[in-house]
Amino acid sequence: MKSTTNQLKHTALYVILFQVFINVDIVFAQETANSVFRSDRINALVFVIIFSASVLLYTKWARQGKSLFLRKIPGLDAVEEAVGRATEMGRPVLFIPGIAELDEIETIAGISILGRVAKITAQYETPLHVPVRYPLVLAAGQEVVEQAYIEMGKKDSYNQDTVQYVAGEQFAFTATVNGYMMRERPATNIYMGAFFAESLLLAETGNAAGSIQIAGTARPEQLPFFIAACDYTLMGEELYAASAYLSHEPVMLGGLKGQDFVKVLIGLCIIIGTLLVSFGYGEFFISLFDAV
Amino acid sequence: MSIWNKMEKMDRRWIYLMVAISVVIPFLYPMSLPISITPEAQAVYDTIEALPDGSTVMLVFDYYPSTIAECEPMAIAALHQFFSKDIKVITLSNIPLGGPSMAETITRMMAKEYNKEYGIDFVNLGYKANYVAVMSGMGQSIEDIFPTDNSGTPLSELPLMTKTKNYADISFLFEIADNATADYWVSIVNAQFGLPMVCGTTAVSAPKYYAFVASGQFKGLLGGMKGAAEYEILVGHKASAVTGMSAQSLVHLLIIFLVILGNLSFFIGRRKSLETA
Amino acid sequence: MRTTLPVAVAFLSGVILVISFFFDDKNWLGLLGQELKIWLTIVGGFTLLLGVVSITRVNWAAVRRKKERWEYKVLTLIAIFAMAIPSVLSPDWSIRFGRNEGSVYDWLFQYLMSPMMATMFATLAFYIASAAYRAFRARSAEATLLLVTATLVMLWRVPMGEWFLNLFPWIDIPYLLNTYIMGGINMAVQRGIIIGAALGAASMSLRIILGIERTYMGKG
Repeated sequence: MKSTTNQLKHTALYVILFQVFINVDIVFAQETANSVFRSDRINALVFVIIFSASVLLYTKWARQGKSLFLRKIPGLDAVEEAVGRATEMGRPVLFIPGIAELDEIETIAGISILGRVAKITAQYETPLHVPVRYPLVLAAGQEVVEQAYIEMGKKDSYNQDTVQYVAGEQFAFTATVNGYMMRERPATNIYMGAFFAESLLLAETGNAAGSIQIAGTARPEQLPFFIAACDYTLMGEELYAASAYLSHEPVMLGGLKGQDFVKVLIGLCIIIGTLLVSFGYGEFFISLFDAV
Repeated sequence: MSIWNKMEKMDRRWIYLMVAISVVIPFLYPMSLPISITPEAQAVYDTIEALPDGSTVMLVFDYYPSTIAECEPMAIAALHQFFSKDIKVITLSNIPLGGPSMAETITRMMAKEYNKEYGIDFVNLGYKANYVAVMSGMGQSIEDIFPTDNSGTPLSELPLMTKTKNYADISFLFEIADNATADYWVSIVNAQFGLPMVCGTTAVSAPKYYAFVASGQFKGLLGGMKGAAEYEILVGHKASAVTGMSAQSLVHLLIIFLVILGNLSFFIGRRKSLETA
Repeated sequence: MRTTLPVAVAFLSGVILVISFFFDDKNWLGLLGQELKIWLTIVGGFTLLLGVVSITRVNWAAVRRKKERWEYKVLTLIAIFAMAIPSVLSPDWSIRFGRNEGSVYDWLFQYLMSPMMATMFATLAFYIASAAYRAFRARSAEATLLLVTATLVMLWRVPMGEWFLNLFPWIDIPYLLNTYIMGGINMAVQRGIIIGAALGAASMSLRIILGIERTYMGKG
């Protein structure tokens, strides 16, 4: 019954979105003599429609039970093992959801993964420590961790200080976390989200403290540092896939497959464009992608 | 345990000591080194040179005080070039911590040197939270997002801002960043509003931005202290970035030496261990 | 209700901003989008206030209960208010306690905060050297290739190294590095990661707008 209601709710959302995209131009075009629609941005609209449609279609197929293959991501498979190690050693797990604000998609991905990790730590009753840099991330982090403990039936084990606001300044935050690593020597450090210059400072200190380290970021410039100092590193979109990967929920996996489909399309456009430009016929094709 | 095995497990504090010595020596015994100009830095200079005198530009201080060594020389050199060409400068920052203060201090210092007047030749908009909304919102109206400047003066009372309503009235954007805000300036302001821009960034972020240089979205790029030094030479005001190149040279050479030493100790140490076994 | 309302707000805000992008600024939809952006900057300002409230609450509780190292918490509280109060007041309301040159705020910023932040950032040089020594090993063909390339790029980025590379006049190594390594291989890899990450972010945004992804609210 509940799933039927959910399905109805989502179908209604899809219909609304579809209606809005298709009809909005017609409605507003009638409003004034001059078209209010930015026809110079039509290429972006086409992309939005293709992208949204592929994500929603794959999500729908996933919901209908179609099996979707997902390649293995060793860094995520290692999460449970790493928490288990912390349990055996009787030491805490340190989780940092990046150092960016909650409006950054990477932070939301980090918070989503935190929910999954908190379920594992709740299950094993392993201490979890989550320092954060922004108050909104604190609020979201506390909500997610508390919910994870409730879902695992370990409400009493939940400590409100698990997620802590440390400092708003990047390096004050780093100094505090590094101090914590050297004093408490957590068995496992998980870094998931947006990281900047502090990435190596954190990862090197964690390495010196002898922790197992798993990192994930979509910042290409910080990847080399994590790769050098961590045991596992998730690169780019693997971070966004992590939440879906750990949850194994078909609805979430559908999003990933839709995204992959668009990636194939972009790959094809790159190949076609390269060939056309190489043979001197690329002008029109390139103009299709012009941004204003 | 052979010397190579010991070397492989060398206490990291020895490495820290070597780095410290390599940084200090060039400050005690300065070296004069020739600095070549990369095409990316030359393009930054040329793009600004090509701007008509009297045009209005936006100079964004998107860096924290922690990266002053790399980013501040770029800002100072840029202001030398802008003010010497009588270009009007609007500064702002998406960094709450120090960004607006640095913009204010540096711009006023440079303005004094070139006899420029606040409100007519330059304005500091300061900081507003949520940079995506700030960048996007200014495309329609700067005054919507920044009703006042950094000191609380309404924009309507500043002559420069009365004729600068949105990006359409700005000729060029110079983004100096030590973080990902440059990604948003390029994807929101350059791609959506067509404002030409260049970027000065820390050495660690520079490789990423080559993609935007090749696509033509960045007209030029200054990468780290080397980029800042090149730009200082181009504008004819050698300062802290040029001086810092000696220390950076020595530390780079030290790291190369350490990598070689680390590999030697790893391979020889491993062979010795196998022989002993 | 606790989940439905935030999802509905996220849906409406997301859809309005996406759609307004395709319409003229002067149109009511464009104006609505602009209004939302102004709201975003205002809400963003409040989150800064939330930070001050949160850190005060946590530290004040520790001071009141005389928890271990509570003296440092007192210092933290003093530091927060010393910087936060002048930040929200007009810069020139007081010569000493405003934000202009010569004020306490200016002094704290110039001579305490900036050097401390720069010092922390500078420790990166030490950490990079130590990480390079430990992790940069020619264990495989790929790792060797990476190591040689990194060494050449490091040499090229400093005058002393460039002088060394120019000792081989028959081959213009700096030009080759800039054109083929930085502007070729590096750029291709960066583009791959940037495109992948951007699509990942777009897909996640879509899931959030449509309420499929709710884990950030502690649901699902």
